[in-house]
Amino acid sequence: MKHTVDVNIPLGPVHPCFKEPARVKCETKGERIIAAEVELGYMKKGIERIMKGRPWQEVMFLAERVCGICSVIHNMVFIEAIEQVSGIAVPPRAAYLRVVANELDRMQSHLLANFSYCYTIEHETLGMYLLDLREKVMDVIERLTGARVTCAYIIPGGVRFDIGAQDEAFLRESLARIEDDLTRYTGMFESGPMIALRSRGIGILTKEAAMQAHAVGPTARASGISVDRRTEHPTYRQLGFEPVVRTECDNYARIMVRFGEVFQSIRLIRACLDNLPEGVIRGGGTCTAGETRYSGEAPRGELTYIIRTDDYGRVIDIQIQTPSIMNIEACCHVMIIGVDSVADVTSTFVSADPCIACTER
Amino acid sequence: MSAWIYEQDLTAQKYRILVSVRHDRVIRQIAADLDIGLQELRKYVIEHCDMILLENLPARYEAALTAAGDADPVAKAIGRDLYTTAIPLVPTGIMETIYQTTAAKVAAGTPFDAAVADARAMMKEVIHA
Repeated sequence: MKHTVDVNIPLGPVHPCFKEPARVKCETKGERIIAAEVELGYMKKGIERIMKGRPWQEVMFLAERVCGICSVIHNMVFIEAIEQVSGIAVPPRAAYLRVVANELDRMQSHLLANFSYCYTIEHETLGMYLLDLREKVMDVIERLTGARVTCAYIIPGGVRFDIGAQDEAFLRESLARIEDDLTRYTGMFESGPMIALRSRGIGILTKEAAMQAHAVGPTARASGISVDRRTEHPTYRQLGFEPVVRTECDNYARIMVRFGEVFQSIRLIRACLDNLPEGVIRGGGTCTAGETRYSGEAPRGELTYIIRTDDYGRVIDIQIQTPSIMNIEACCHVMIIGVDSVADVTSTFVSADPCIACTER
Repeated sequence: MSAWIYEQDLTAQKYRILVSVRHDRVIRQIAADLDIGLQELRKYVIEHCDMILLENLPARYEAALTAAGDADPVAKAIGRDLYTTAIPLVPTGIMETIYQTTAAKVAAGTPFDAAVADARAMMKEVIHA
């Protein structure tokens, strides 16, 4: 789209506040943003094309490499899609352990997102506290799955490793420490006057606009839309899951929804450990031919895999719809339009927790 | 007055987005629905939409179809919300005029399919222009 404007400010592709490269071209009138255009293509992987024709054993490793921040959910959604196609049942113990891994992944992703936001609004102290807390969560993930990222923990018909008594004690102890620290940090965010100045009433995404842009995840839930794929997942239903929803529709609400979800994840993990069924962690099964569309709730929102497999479990066709696609669009075409300062563009962009790796796949 | 100093020609990249499986399916559906040439429609959306909107095209299309539900049959048939707010092919003001004209024709006794076909022709003209 080539056109002439009064002043345009290109942010990115390399910007200190962006974790990944993307260019947001802002059209301004004074300090006010009146339009924005997003330019992608700096880290296209073409991973869907690479996946085609490969057996599921290879695709499951590729799937979690779509995104390094939320790799567990990519692993989980792909495997559960394969299980749906092939009619493979998961033992109850494995289903609970999947929730534990997934919620730990959500915790570290949300803590990283909130760190990025605090860093962007120049509250680096709180940002560093959150980053330190994330390291504790990463240690727990490593203890449970054997790796910090791309752990390939979830496999068709179960999970790779069981949780021992010592690991469980370590997990419970870590959760208690994380909960204590996070209560304090959330209080700092809630009551900080400078944080409020940079966050409250900025980057408004109304409920109607969020629905129109098909916004998902914490971005949608911060706009009063009670949408979460976990409400339809059988294991989460057993745990009595209820989404965290706020109605302020601004940057503050998006960050607070994420804080709320970290506390919720801690509660869910504890519930899983308290009610962990006895039994095997791998049920077995054979991957067969079929076609399905399967969605799960990633830290950033609804993640959908549309797959078609052949008789040998090879992936013939695959499309991945990641949540950041919808959230970045909502952010750049609605949230940042009308903000009164260019400085608020980066903070609003980061508040939507954009993941360019997911978007470009 | 200044132009985009970093502007590149993004046509090739946008085209790659549009020919991926789900996007291609949506674009073909819209082209068939509006009776427009496929390449012509691709050119139009490449010129009028930015990259993230193109990436979001299938999700917006699905969301608009779900939202349409059992609403006003004329609005649903001509895609009043689909082709304005979800996929911005026709300006809102022009679409409103097309909708009013079609609704009036249906109320006056014109067969529903014929009135919708006329509406499609008007939308096609807007895209051609």
